[in-house]
Parts: sequence; C-alpha cells; structure tokens
Amino acid sequence: MSKLLSPAKTEVLFMGNEAIARGALEAGVSVVSGYPGTPSSEVIERLSEVARERNLYVEWSTNEKVALEVAAAASFAGLRSMCVMKQNGVNVASDFLLHLSSSGTRGGIVLVECEDPGALSSVNEGESRYFARMLEVPLLEPASFQEAKDLTKWAFELSEKIRNIVILRSVTRMSHASGNVICGKLPEKFRTARFISDGSVMDPLRGPVVSTPVVIKHGLQQKKLQTAAGLFEKSPFNSYTGPKRPELLIITSSACFLYSREAIEMLGLQKRVGILKLSCTWPLPEKLLKKYLRLTDRIMVVEEVLPFLEENIKVAAMGMLKEIGMKTFYGKMDKTLPSAGELNPEIVVAALSKIMKVKPASLPAAYVKEIQKVAPKIPPRAQTFCPGCPHRASFWNINTALKLDGREGIVCGDIGCYAMASLWPEIGFHTVRTLHSMGSGTGLASGFAKLAAFGLDKPIMAVCGDSTFYHAVIPALINAQHNKADITFIVLDNAGTAMTGFQPHPGINESAIGDPLPSIDIAAICRGIGAKVAVSDPFDLEGTGKILTSFMAERGTLKVLILKQACALSPEKKGKKQFQVKVNEELCLGDHCGCNRLCTRIFRCPALTWDREKKKAVVDEVICAGCGVCYSICPQKAITRTEVAQ
Amino acid sequence: MVELSLKVKENSQKFLKKYVLDEGLCTGCGACVSICPYQVIYRDRTVQLHQCDLQDGNCSAFCPRTPADPAALRKMLFESADLTPEIGAVKGYYFSRAADPELRATAQHGATVTVLLELALSEGLIDSAVVSTRNQEFLQEGVIVNNTEAIRKNTGSKFTVSPTVAAFNRLVTKEAGNVGVVATPCQALALAKMRISKTEEFENKIKQLKLVIGLYCGWTLSVEKYTKLLLDKNITPESIRKMDIPAGKNVLEIFTDDGAKAIPFEEVQACVRDACQYCMDSTAEYADVSVGSARFAGSWEEVRQWNQLIVRTEKGKALVDLAVKKGVLEVRTAPEESLNELKAAAVNKKKNALKNIIRKSGSVKNLLYLDSRDPAVLKYLTKEVFNKKVK
Amino acid sequence: MKKTLIDTNLQSKVYRGGKEEATQSYSTIRRGVDDAANKGRRMNANLYKDPTNIIITGVGGQGNVMASRVLAGMLVNAGFIVTIGETFGMSQRGGSVMSHLRVSSSSVLSPQIPQGRADIVIALEPVEALRVLTRYGNPDVAVLTNSRMVYPMGVITGDFTYPSLDEVRTMFEKLAAKSWIIDATSVAVDLGNPVLSNIVMIGALAGTSLLPIDRRAFEKEIAKSIPAGKHQINLTAFDAGAKMI
Ligand SMILES: Cc1cc2nc3c(=O)[nH]c(=O)nc-3n(C[C@H](O)[C@H](O)[C@H](O)COP(=O)(O)OP(=O)(O)OC[C@H]3O[C@@H](n4cnc5c(N)ncnc54)[C@H](O)[C@@H]3O)c2cc1C
Ligand code: SF4
Ligand code: SF4
Ligand code: SF4
Ligand code: SF4
Repeated sequence: MSKLLSPAKTEVLFMGNEAIARGALEAGVSVVSGYPGTPSSEVIERLSEVARERNLYVEWSTNEKVALEVAAAASFAGLRSMCVMKQNGVNVASDFLLHLSSSGTRGGIVLVECEDPGALSSVNEGESRYFARMLEVPLLEPASFQEAKDLTKWAFELSEKIRNIVILRSVTRMSHASGNVICGKLPEKFRTARFISDGSVMDPLRGPVVSTPVVIKHGLQQKKLQTAAGLFEKSPFNSYTGPKRPELLIITSSACFLYSREAIEMLGLQKRVGILKLSCTWPLPEKLLKKYLRLTDRIMVVEEVLPFLEENIKVAAMGMLKEIGMKTFYGKMDKTLPSAGELNPEIVVAALSKIMKVKPASLPAAYVKEIQKVAPKIPPRAQTFCPGCPHRASFWNINTALKLDGREGIVCGDIGCYAMASLWPEIGFHTVRTLHSMGSGTGLASGFAKLAAFGLDKPIMAVCGDSTFYHAVIPALINAQHNKADITFIVLDNAGTAMTGFQPHPGINESAIGDPLPSIDIAAICRGIGAKVAVSDPFDLEGTGKILTSFMAERGTLKVLILKQACALSPEKKGKKQFQVKVNEELCLGDHCGCNRLCTRIFRCPALTWDREKKKAVVDEVICAGCGVCYSICPQKAITRTEVAQ
Repeated sequence: MVELSLKVKENSQKFLKKYVLDEGLCTGCGACVSICPYQVIYRDRTVQLHQCDLQDGNCSAFCPRTPADPAALRKMLFESADLTPEIGAVKGYYFSRAADPELRATAQHGATVTVLLELALSEGLIDSAVVSTRNQEFLQEGVIVNNTEAIRKNTGSKFTVSPTVAAFNRLVTKEAGNVGVVATPCQALALAKMRISKTEEFENKIKQLKLVIGLYCGWTLSVEKYTKLLLDKNITPESIRKMDIPAGKNVLEIFTDDGAKAIPFEEVQACVRDACQYCMDSTAEYADVSVGSARFAGSWEEVRQWNQLIVRTEKGKALVDLAVKKGVLEVRTAPEESLNELKAAAVNKKKNALKNIIRKSGSVKNLLYLDSRDPAVLKYLTKEVFNKKVK
Repeated sequence: MKKTLIDTNLQSKVYRGGKEEATQSYSTIRRGVDDAANKGRRMNANLYKDPTNIIITGVGGQGNVMASRVLAGMLVNAGFIVTIGETFGMSQRGGSVMSHLRVSSSSVLSPQIPQGRADIVIALEPVEALRVLTRYGNPDVAVLTNSRMVYPMGVITGDFTYPSLDEVRTMFEKLAAKSWIIDATSVAVDLGNPVLSNIVMIGALAGTSLLPIDRRAFEKEIAKSIPAGKHQINLTAFDAGAKMI
C-alpha cells in the first residue's frame, strides 16, 4: 500500500509534496493536472500512484496553462481539482489565471506552485506570490509538514466557500524536505461531475462561466477576496508564539518560520522575541495583524527573495498608524536580509544578533584554523552529464559541426538537463550560449537568424528537449518556418522529461498512471509545417555529424534534426548495458602526443577514469552505462566494445 | 623570425593556431591531421576541434609552416655537393616521359610520376603508395594504393589542396609496409620534418617512408573561391575531366564533358590559397625526385607530354636509372635554357614569398616560419625584396 | 519568569460544501508550529543529544536519499520527530548530495542544519565527508565514512588532486571527536550490488550505538518501504555493516 493512503491518525514521514498530495486526497480531489518542474513534480507523481484506488484523474499536461484549464473544467463541473507547477509555470498559466479568477470557479480548485528560492534546481528565482495580489486571489503558505497537508485540505474548502481559485505556495525546502505528519480521514464518497450553464450570466453556479460583464464580475471577485480575508482573521493556521511583550516581533511565513524559530533558540532569545507566523499571506488578515503589531515597536519580516510580505504589512500598518503608532521595520528594504538567494537559520541568526545586540556562539578558533587547512585540499565536485548520457554525444556532434563549419555559429539553449551545457563551460564542450524560459531557445534562434542583414551572418542553431518541444517550442518553430529563418533546430529527444524524473509527455504512449495513450510524433509535426527533417541517433557520431554539416551548409531554410536516444537513467535503460567496454592498455596512448587523454580530458564521461600510476585510461565498470560512444572517439581504437546479449 | 622559445611557452597546438592557422599560413598538407584527434581537415581547411595542452607535440613539429632547422634537414637527406640555392639538391636534371603513349594520354604530362611509382612497387622498393584522389567537388583526399590499376586511376593533377600527409598519417599502418608518397613541396617538407623529429610515437611509422616523389608547384586554389569562379562560368565541378596550365598562354585550360574551356589567368590567380603566397619552394626541394611540366620551346601539344625531372638523392637516381634500363621511362637531356628558366622562376617565387612575408609581419626581422640565418633565405633577402614592405 | 503565549485562533470555523463545519483536530495543526503540542509524546528510546543533527552525504547515484529515508523512518517509528532536508534535482548528475536529518523528541526543526552544528556525519564517499565537516563540523562531531573514492571530474581531468586515505584519516582526527572509515562498497560488491553500500553504512551506524536504532527497527522499517523480495539482501547488508564497527 502506498504510504499516501495511510489510515487516519497514523503518524508518517511525508515529504512536503507528499503532505500536499495527502491533503488533496483528504479534501476529496478528483482531477489533478500539472507540468513537471522541480521542486513540484512529486505531488502529481505520488497521486498518480494512487489514482486508481482513489478514483482520480491525473494528467501531465502539455504545459502549465493547459494544465490549469484542465483543472478548471473539473471545478466548473463541481469537482474538486488541483493544478501543480513550479514557480515560473505560473507565468505560463497566468493569462488563463487572470480570466479564471474573474469568472470565478465552482468546485474547490487549488493552484499549487512550488518555488525555488536560491534556484537550487531552476534557472530563475521567480516569485509567484505577486500573482495572488495582482490577480486578486487568496494565497496560502504552509510552514511545516503537518501544515502542508492540513492547509492543502483547507484550501479546497476556502475555494469552495468563495467560489474562486486559491493559490498554495510551497518552496524547495518545504516540498523536498520531510517531516512527521498525522494523517486525517480520507473521504469515502466521490463527487460526480455536472456542468450547468443555462442560467443567468450572473449566476455563479448555474450560468455560463465567463468573465463578463467585466466590471461587475471584477467587483464580485474583490468581495470574494474580502470574504477570504475575514476567514484568515480567524484561521488557526496563523499563530503567534512568544512573550506577551516582545522586544521584537518577527512576522514570517513558509520555511522561514522554521529558520526564524531556530534562530531565536540558537540565540536564546525566546523571552525577548516573538514570532507571528502567517500561513494566510494574501489578503492579509489586518485585524490579526493589528493585534500583534501593537505588542512592540520593532518588527522584522522574514521571507525569501522579494519583500512581498514586508510591502503588504507596511501598507497595512500605514492604514492603522493611528492605532498602532510608529514602527521600525527590519527586512529586505533596509537590507537587514538579502533579497536574492534562499534564507537559512544562519542568515536569520546574523540579522537577529545585530538587531538584538547579542553574540552568536562560534566555533573554537583552533577548530576554525583546522577547517581552513583542510578546505583547500577538497577537490570540487562539479555536476556533469551522467555516464551514457545522450546529451554528451549530441553536444559532441554539435560542437564538432560548429568547429568544422568555422563561422562561429550560435547555439540557443533551452530548459532541461542539456541546459548544463550553457551553465558551465566545461560541460557539453562549451556549446550553448543562451538559456531562458521553456521554448525560448527556438524563438531566439528565429530572431538571431534575421540579423544577417545587420551583419550577424552566422549559422544559428537551437536545441530543445522532447518535453520542451511540446510545451512551448511549436509556436516558435512555426514562426521560424513562416518567416524563413535559416536555423538548424535540434530536438534532443531522450524519451521523457528526464530532468524531473521521467514524467510522460505527449511523445510518450502512456499516461501519468500508465494507461496507453497515442503518442504525438515530433518529426511529423515538423514536417507538417514544411520544415526539412532528419532523424538520427546521437551515438552514431559519423552519421549525425554528416547531417549536421550538410544542414549548416544549406542556407535559407529551417532544418530540423531529431536526435533520438533515451536518457541513460530512463527506466527502460537503467542497469542494462548495450556494450561491455574496456580499455586496451597496450593501445592506449594515454597522455602521450597522439591522444593526450581525449577521453578523460575532453570527452569527460565520468565512467572513464585515469589511472595515475599506469598512465592509461580505465573504464569504471560500476558506473559505465555501456553506451559505447567512447569507442567511437578514441583515436587509437584502444577502447573496445562488445555487444552484451540482452 | 619567430623565436622557438615561444613554442615552449605556448604549447604546440596553440602555437600552431596562433602562428600558422590564424596567420593564414596553413598549406592544408595534413601533417598535423590524423596524428591525434585534435586537428582535422574539413573541406580544404584545417580545423582544431579541441584543446590540447602538450608542450612538445608532433603537430607543430611536423608542420611545414613552423620554424625548422633547414641545414639539418638538408644534411639528413642530401649530399652537400648537390645543393643549389634556387632548386635544392640536383644530381641530375632531365626531360622525361613514359614510354607507353597510352599511359601518357591519361596522365597530367609525361606520366613520369606514375611510371616511377609503378616501378618502385613492382621492384619491391615500396609496398604501397600514398597518392591523391578526387572525392567530391574539389575536395581531394589521400589514398593508399598498392597496384598499377589503383595508381592509374589517380593520375592527373588536382589544383586544390590534397591532405596527402594526413592520409599518410591515417592509412600507413604496419601492414602497409614500405611506402612512397607523391607530394607537393609543402607536403615533402612536412615529411622531411617528420623524418628528422623521430618522436617516440612516430618513429616506427616514419621508418616505413622509403620514397618521396615531389611535384613542382606554383600554388593551389581555395576550394571555396574556385568553386564560385567556376559556377559563375557555368562549369560544374563534376563535369571536369582535366585541367592544365599551357605554357605561355596565360590561361587555365579546363577539359569538361562538354569540351575545353579557358579561364584567364588573373581570375584564377585571385582564387589562390592565401598560404601559397608565403611559400618559398616551387620544385619540392625535400623529395627524392621532383617532377614538373617540361615547358620548352616547341609546340605545347608536344611539350605537354614531357616532364622535367630533378633527381635529388641516390635513391631517386637508382630508381630513375632502373626505369630507363627497363625501358619504361624515356629520358633526354634538358636544354640549358630550360634549367635557367626553371631557376629564374624558382627565385621569383622565393622573392615573392619573402616580400609577402615581410609585408605580413611588418618587419624584415620577422620572417614568420623562416629563419634569416638560413643561407637559402638570406640570399634572397635583397634590397628589392624588403623595400617592398612599405607598400 | 515571563510566560510564553501561544495563540492559535482555536475557535475558528470553516465552510465546507456550503455547511459550516469544524476544521480539523486543531492539535494536529499545531504540531509543527507549536512545540507544546508535542509534549507528552512517547518515545521508546532516548537521544544522546536533543535534537541530534545528522548529515548523510555522498555522490549522486549512491543511494543517499534512500539511506536518509530509511534512517528517518526508523526514528519516526521509535516516536521521534524527524525533519529531513534534501537537495536533489540536478544532484543525480554526479554532484555532491547531502541530506540533513534532525531528530528531536519535541520540535519540528528547520530542514537546514545551521553551520557548525552537525552531530553525526555519515558519508558514502570520503571527500564528501570532509566537505561536510568544513561547513557543519565542530569539535564534538562523529564521522562514519565509506572508504571508496569516487573521483570528481576535475580530478579525472587532472585539474585537482584527491587526498589519500591516510590524509583523510588525519584530517578526520583534527576535525572530529570520533571517526570510522569502513570499506562498505567492497562488502556491497561482494553481496552483488555496489548500491547496497548505503545499507551497509546504516548497519555500521547502528553498530556505533550513536543513535537508538537496531536490527529490529531496521527490519520493521524496510517491511514498509522496501519490496519483500529485497528484504533478505538488505538485512544481510545491514548485519555486515554492523559487524564492521
Ligand atoms: C597543385 C599543383 C600545382 C602544380 N604546379 C605546377 C607548376 O606550377 N609547374 C609545373 O611544372 N608543374 C606543376 N605541377 C605538377 C604537374 O601538374 C604534374 O603533376 C607533374 O608534371 C607530373 O606530371 P605526370 O604526368 O608525371 O603526373 P601523373 O603521372 O599524372 O601523376 C600525378 C600524381 O600527382 C598526384 N597529385 C595530383 N594532384 C595532387 C595534389 N594536389 N597534391 C598531391 N598530389 C597530387 C596524383 O595522385 C598522381 O599520383 C603542379 C601540380 C599540382 C598538384
Ligand atoms: S582516448 Fe583512447 S588512447 Fe586516448 S587516453 Fe582514452 S583510451 Fe587511451
Ligand atoms: S561506454 Fe564509454 S562513454 Fe559510455 S558510459 Fe561507458 S565509459 Fe562512458
Ligand atoms: S596530441 Fe600532439 S599533435 Fe595532437 S594537438 Fe596535442 S601536441 Fe599536437
Ligand atoms: S600546414 Fe599542414 S601541418 Fe601546418 S597547420 Fe596546415 S595542415 Fe597542419
């Protein structure tokens, strides 16, 4: 039995994302959709594992906007639904979200967005809390694992109460951390879907679901938000811990609550500093806020990235100035805390000790000296493509083609593991030169290709992954074809959303819960728009190289090369080696002229290591994936490969 | 002159890039290619794919456009009495042609090259030969051949670069046995540098090199520019059967499927590979024998089927003597004027190269890959040459 | 002595399906934010330090995450409150991986252990132990590491050097109060799968008696989290590890 279905009252260790998933189950959710993105993906993954038992429809949608539309339809039909994405996914979904929040919803609907302060696995530190304010919908932020579950459940109740969508925000340190959770009851009955739309346009439950008449509906939406604020005033999810008359009040939310509480303990300030933890952060419960702002004159707002909470509290405090008096605020705006990067207990300790004039405990000086002696002797461990990764071979091909062409072509990157080729020059042979949002590499390439008239006459390439292709590349590709952009567009098709853990996408013939689905062929789509298309195996260095150089020589049109090879970690490959690979020491030239360690110095498969004593390359059998590509690159044919019987 | 110490500071591959490739001196000979994975030839360009950090690598040691020790090279290959400043070592100078008229008809001129190769093979002097073959458009490749038929398939001159030395590097395995190479002057120089460098990795392979037949060479053409010129004239590369430079006509003759065409010489000259402007050698001075077109007074149709032949080494002499003895090669004494003309042309090329080198480096003190202490260079560093540099 | 005020809006009601209904059992909501709500928990063992801060570190693909989950599961079963902080995402791609485990009898702690505050470091790879010690170490820390080295790319390419095991040992002596270096990978390879080294390490950790965990607790936890077919091999790995201390 899945841990997610643990009986009521049992105490289990849940990851934050599992706690959210369990909360949704306890709320009786029927439809769950989303697009994979760290740190959000486990919510849907775990739910898909129990989908059959819990009568759920779980879908990995093509992109976040479509995902939200799928979830909204369920809400319109009276079901409870949830849509899950990472922070920047909300940007993609936001156009629909604007209209949805104004038309209103029926069955409880929750948008779960997991943010990544510090960009631990993102290429941005995007903030989505501002969408709640801008689009006038309630925002909830759990501050512990138990709360992640309970608040999720309550979010559905709140959404149904106000008939509008509710945003629940988590962060990496919540979603990907785990803690004890006491399970609640799972509902026994499931709802049935009914969509009634023959009533008046003003009837929220029986009329057509539209955002018009705009001004009137907008006014109604604002009333809903006031209702939410009223509920927040009394919500048990907002709490105060601390002395009756604290010298300093910390107002905080999310994981920052845990950091703040720990910082207070570390400095022994329990009797001097109080914490107001808000889990309902938009709209602010102003009465509650007033009650605690009165306790003291000094306030520190602890939150990650931008001063969202701080701004809102300051605006609210301005309105109640007469009752609460002048305050001193500490936070992002006065630079007490940084506005970029994630927080941790130490950062809060540093801020607190400055304000409270206390000294944090420090390590003995002799110990610190030892650390300083050891630290420089530790070799860094940089990330790299895995052994057997198709991207290493693909970039090898692309890099070679670019060098042969000699015109210093430009490669635009996209989001996926292959983005590493743009982040660190030593990964992927320093091939990729731009990296932005999903699909943007192709759009940028389409633009670069038009700069020849202004003197930038270089071959232009774009790379994207298979999942990214469906998500946001198609419009950019159509743009390129229609506007006759001369680009070589390369799909690194590794058969799944590898970076986030092999969630299926429209190219895979299987659903989130393993049901058969028709797959949509990337090559056919590209041919359909009139592009010239070739398909190759990136492990076939010679064949792929020929196609690439011929594509680059062919001017004036859009050329598409689909490089198909499953990810080395993919479930279908994992553990299975296609080749047994060995280095013939007799033939290996090692660091002599004639090779100078091409395999370990340049190709850099982690499974090819260097024997310092013998001065020869060796294959680390334990981590070698058996792709056999190194056989093709060794100038001495010193790397031998034998096909393993499957 | 580039100080050799730079080489130590910069590592071989960077040196090659900075002083040869980036300077436009690369002849495309292929000596640095296929000895390791880092340099390759693509179309007619030499490309460095990845960085190598070795200090004393073969790439820059073999390259004919890095500094060398010409005195040592000459000492290794030739008898000092045979040396001339204009055209290198000369043991004998003749006009020659294949005895077999059919063979002559398929060859570039008198088929001397082909005759000598075939003889060396059949006599067991060599087991295989590296010659140049045309693969697509004007992209030449070196191939290894070991029979008459294969040699004859690859007769005729190709006026774009052939990375013959790369083919030597790539194709000469232990099984190839003793090898002969047909080489342009830059390629012959690269092979000579390989012989003298005697590096650990290369020692065995270079020992297999037993014969170098040099070709006279005025220049080679850039594939890109030349293709464009031909296309402008509606000549497709695939239709070309043979090309030649008839004496005294100032045109390039092109024999295509649809008949002969002539392109004015200035237009062809504009397509010459940059590197050839800096080349001092027109007669393949580092070969065992060198072969060119006869060019003596008489009708071109007759002359075309004769070669000039310079015999430079004992080995070359023995081979030519044997060819005459066996009756496969006809040899006649060359007229005096012809040798004078050849020397004048060679001197002219040397002076032009020096002028161009000085113009490029901006100083008579910096002769790029050449050494001003080399008497064969010093002799041509005349006033007339370095006054041109201001231009 | 001033009294601590805890105020959690206990009287609120919420709406559900149109009807007014009490939200939940408020005591559960308070769990995690309110230590007092955790008073009276029954633990079947004691910690030598409360909270105990444990870091499990290694290289992506070594089974670090699984080790931390199994250990945490054992401790939750024993009645403790455990918080695990993990960084994954790109870490499977050969980078350093680290899990922070915080074990307490009364409080939910932040998923990040503050600098200099680790009590126990378990490393599946020796330099990863050092890396953790230089940030989270203190004179009282205990270290248990696998001796099998996984060379980082920079070492393979020759840009960096990797310290010898002897050097690592001396560094441990300077940076830790107690240390154990065991060759867990060899044992795991002998058992047929190098990935079992993580379980060998858990067994060894039990052998150190630093934490209230034993074979029975391990058996109970894997019964829940590991497919039945793999129980025996995991138990064997655990026992082998326990014997190495
Ligand atoms: C680029 C070039 C420029 C030349 N310039 C002059 C000149 O200015 N004056 C002059 O008198 N002679 C020149 N020659 C030499 C001339 O064209 C004949 O090659 C020579 O006379 C030998 O004729 P043959 O009939 O004996 O040759 P064949 O018996 O036809 O044999 C020719 C041989 O040369 C090889 N070969 C052809 N092209 C190349 C190449 N690009 N690189 C290396 N090997 C090649 C062939 O594989 C074949 O083995 C030049 C040759 C080349 C290739
Ligand atoms: S590429 Fe081949 S010859 Fe070079 S070090 Fe690796 S195994 Fe040896
Ligand atoms: S076969 Fe070669 S390239 Fe592929 S994973 Fe093994 S060592 Fe690496
Ligand atoms: S391996 Fe040798 S020949 Fe190749 S680039 Fe390096 S130094 Fe030059
Ligand atoms: S001249 Fe020959 S050896 Fe020198 S760089 Fe060019 S191809 Fe390489």
